[in-house]
Amino acid sequence: MDRRHFIGQSAAALGLLAGFSGQARANLQKAEILVIGGGYGGATAAKYLRLFSNNTAKVTLIEPNASFISCPMSNLVVGGSRTLAELTSPYDNLSKRHGINIIQDSVASIDADKKTVKLASGKTLRYDKAVVSPGITLMMDSIEGLVQANKAGVTLQAWKAGAETVALHKQMTSIRDGGTFALSIPEAPYRCPPGPYERACQVANYLKKNKPKSKVLILDANQDVTSKGALFKKVWAEQYSGIIEYLPKHNVTAVDAKTKTIKLEVQDDIKADVLNLLPAMSAGEIAVKTGLANSNGRWVNVNFINFESTAQKDIHVLGDSIQVAPAMPKSGHMANSHAKVAAAAIVAELSGWEINPAPVLTNTCYSFVNEREVVHVASVHQYNAAEKTFKTVPGSGGLSPAPSTLEGVYAWGWAHNIWADSLG
Amino acid sequence: MREKYLKSAILGALYIGLSHWSPYALAQNADASNLYKRSLAATCANCHGTDGIGVPNAGMPIINNLTSEQMLTQLKAFKSGAREGTIMPQLAKGYSDEQLETIANQLGKK
Repeated sequence: MDRRHFIGQSAAALGLLAGFSGQARANLQKAEILVIGGGYGGATAAKYLRLFSNNTAKVTLIEPNASFISCPMSNLVVGGSRTLAELTSPYDNLSKRHGINIIQDSVASIDADKKTVKLASGKTLRYDKAVVSPGITLMMDSIEGLVQANKAGVTLQAWKAGAETVALHKQMTSIRDGGTFALSIPEAPYRCPPGPYERACQVANYLKKNKPKSKVLILDANQDVTSKGALFKKVWAEQYSGIIEYLPKHNVTAVDAKTKTIKLEVQDDIKADVLNLLPAMSAGEIAVKTGLANSNGRWVNVNFINFESTAQKDIHVLGDSIQVAPAMPKSGHMANSHAKVAAAAIVAELSGWEINPAPVLTNTCYSFVNEREVVHVASVHQYNAAEKTFKTVPGSGGLSPAPSTLEGVYAWGWAHNIWADSLG
Repeated sequence: MREKYLKSAILGALYIGLSHWSPYALAQNADASNLYKRSLAATCANCHGTDGIGVPNAGMPIINNLTSEQMLTQLKAFKSGAREGTIMPQLAKGYSDEQLETIANQLGKK
């Protein structure tokens, strides 16, 4: 080997080196990344895919709604102390500040083999990576007569914040003094474990001031309160005695819209004036339709290291749609946390790097027990490589000792910051 | 001279062999490691804002006025129980000391 030869080989090696590295970068820049659903999971994923790629990844967000309406805090709209406008954020910062291509449309179908997405408007888009964050489907058929009762406007769910949230508030205010507001809860898992109990507090808070002879009847299919149990029960006893009645192991099976009668699996029929019945829930419709819901046909199993579906390669699923790890709630905060882990993993993979072997998730959930006082539950979830799941750290996390107005201030601080973190 | 060339050739071959992996691996490790650090610090953003820049006057304590050193001191005080709070003592206990240090380095005032 002469010197020229050696230099030539070295140059070739360097060229290869540059090519190698450039190729990985090019993969990240060339990849079409489609994010389906602009909730806490999808919006955050779109934004952090841009941030973590130093604004080099091509990201498209597909979302049918013109603006984002937060489910967290929406029980305050039901109770009447806040308006929906206060919980609404625009999507356009994601395009203006972060260069995300936003398509206001819904997804009709996903062809995971061809790696294409068909929009409701008819257009077909190709993807290299899809992030699917479609929230939940309310399984209306799980309560007999619920579809008709909902169509007739007799029963409302208001479990996706929007027009129904305001309509439920109106139903509550039109209740006669001495009337009953029935709120039913399906068996866990469902979206937002403490949400129904918070709603009961908000309705009771209104009734206490305006229709004090009225009652809130909680019909819970579960054995006991599924989240913040001791805290809620204390509040019900101290602040809403004689107004909130809690009935565990009451599984609603049917509703008669005409007579406003609720049928239960075991107990006698119950009549109520306002019927807020929450049916069982499953992964968002598009996830189920695409065959991703491979856990009992309801939830999507994912590899927790990168939130890739176990059913389809290159489809990452976030938020309420997934089959959760132990002690992992279906919450907006958790969906935002999922999104960041998935975004970092996708950027790593497309760059040709090893995926972060030790991702971390957090959850924080504030519940208002009246207009100002709040209780929280919080947790930290570290990835366990041996068991390929997330586990809460022993000794960490926990609950508030009691409701406080300080946490009421923090709850709004949380809301404004997570809205900005997801959409700002 | 011949021996010298041979030496170069061996070194060169070694270099070529390594260069397929080693320097690139080092480069990617630095970038990847930076990404992991950013994603760890992003677990704070839900409450304290993207990159630790919180929404002003929203009600949540602002953290980006702290230096990395000050932030780490506070995080460790929350973890040990020396500093009381609502959520932070519970969350800080979920992170290793090394993770808290990474977070403080990422989010502290530069």
